[in-house]
Amino acid sequence: MNITRPARCLLCSFTRAATPSTRVPRRQFHPTPATLSNRKPKFPNVKAPRVEDYKPYTEEQKAELAKEYSAAQMAAIEAGEAAIDPKDLAEQMKERSDPMSFKYLDDFSVIEPGIDRHQRAPESNSDYNFKLKSEEDFAKDFGQFFAEMSDNATGADFVRFADNLRVTHGKEENELHPHSALVPDLFGPGETIDEPRVEEQKTAAEKGEKERSAEAEEMTEALKSLLLATGYTESQVKGLRTKTLVSHSVTNQTRLGKVRRAYRLSIAGNANGLLGIGEAKSDEPSDAKTQSQYRAIRNMQPIPRYENRTIYGDVKGKVGATELQLMHRPPGFGLRVQYLIYEMCRAAGIHDLSARVGRSRNQMNTVKAAYEALMSQRNPEQVAHALGRKIVDVRKVYYAGKI
Amino acid sequence: MSLVNLSAVCAHLNNATKARLALTSIPNSNLHLKLSLALQNSGYISSVVRGGPTPPPAHPILGYPAANDEAEGIEPITRDNVASRRLWLGLKYWQNESVLGKIKMISKPTRRVNIDVEGLRRVVRGEESGFVAGIRSPEARECVEKKLGGLVLCRVL
Repeated sequence: MNITRPARCLLCSFTRAATPSTRVPRRQFHPTPATLSNRKPKFPNVKAPRVEDYKPYTEEQKAELAKEYSAAQMAAIEAGEAAIDPKDLAEQMKERSDPMSFKYLDDFSVIEPGIDRHQRAPESNSDYNFKLKSEEDFAKDFGQFFAEMSDNATGADFVRFADNLRVTHGKEENELHPHSALVPDLFGPGETIDEPRVEEQKTAAEKGEKERSAEAEEMTEALKSLLLATGYTESQVKGLRTKTLVSHSVTNQTRLGKVRRAYRLSIAGNANGLLGIGEAKSDEPSDAKTQSQYRAIRNMQPIPRYENRTIYGDVKGKVGATELQLMHRPPGFGLRVQYLIYEMCRAAGIHDLSARVGRSRNQMNTVKAAYEALMSQRNPEQVAHALGRKIVDVRKVYYAGKI
Repeated sequence: MSLVNLSAVCAHLNNATKARLALTSIPNSNLHLKLSLALQNSGYISSVVRGGPTPPPAHPILGYPAANDEAEGIEPITRDNVASRRLWLGLKYWQNESVLGKIKMISKPTRRVNIDVEGLRRVVRGEESGFVAGIRSPEARECVEKKLGGLVLCRVL
């Protein structure tokens, strides 16, 4: 307990008994996180710098260690202890908090060619008097290899010989690891920024080809036409938020009897201002679902959003007997709306909203009315044009345009 | 101050904007004139001209009758013609929608709604006050600058 806390609080903590049952956040299924503690400290805690104290091993501890480790290992431990000053250890192992400390964790064991100083072979590797081997020299090398070859030599031996075969006379380092004044390559041989290693690159390419061919085979005609109509790629379509909100079956009464079909209503959005609804009927429910989703994607239209979080003004929508009202709300309010409108807001990227659905609450009409309401927003700029007056967003003025 | 007549004016303006009329007329009265001028100042209507039973001639450049038309001039009100005067309002449209939108009475002939400055402040902040709902649209608002309360007549939605 902090000394600086007032006595009143000190007494409070005595009087307040421990809670009898475990504390459970009240709004468990709410999207906004509920804080368990309802009290915040008034002042940020200032912690005293913690000084690590590294003490040398006591005789007892050494005896314990000796049970685990061999004599050689114990000798190494003792040598290490003797070599490093505990004060140094405490300083070096401490997490740095000074302004020049690194903002990332790294043990600096690997040389990063783009960041670190260039690693070059020393100049002493150079040999200016090297000569290329002549054919005779090569013949001599081969002759020596075959002469010294053991009886049970394999192909691997020859490969090893060919790999180690030098092509120049002179210093060995000059050929294998020459000095160069040029900046070393950022990437190793065959590496690129996307594909770190040649082997991985190859496998990835093979994988990609396989996947692509499989996808091309899998891609349905409907999806192909959707991609053609919208100009999206398949990955973009996959990235869209689609959700089937309404599903029921419809019947057509003919002289042959009732013909049942599945009805699906879906919404699609990119969570950044685009929203569309699509509905479809089909004999197969899954077919109706995909059809409705594709239609929703085709129907996606931009929805005006105030500060990319809520709507401009309060809007009303009416479809059939369903009348609803969408109301803009301040930042951090959340989506306190019924589930259908909630899903639509999620897909469209609206974060603060409340809604009231009056009269009929038919699911299909609710979705349609909400869409109508969202589309009926009046842009303040257009209103200003229409009125011939200047309209200023007071929030932006107050916060100096920082919102 | 007849709220019955004012209600009739509101209904007439709604009908006229739905019919996409460019010019319409309302009975002449001081209340109607004040309201029309307030609407014109806010930009909801383009012109207010006091004229006779026939529409006044259009301004050669503007295309609608204007009060400051020097060529035509305005017929002065006399004891003889005051009964036949009407207010001619030019209606505005923007992007296929009427600028006025919908105008609605708040005070009714059977229930007059008064509001004080405090209530007006609340309304401008978007809260409800008495029988008056808060302003919840992002448009620029009538000021509370004048610090005047009074009878709430009608509202443009």
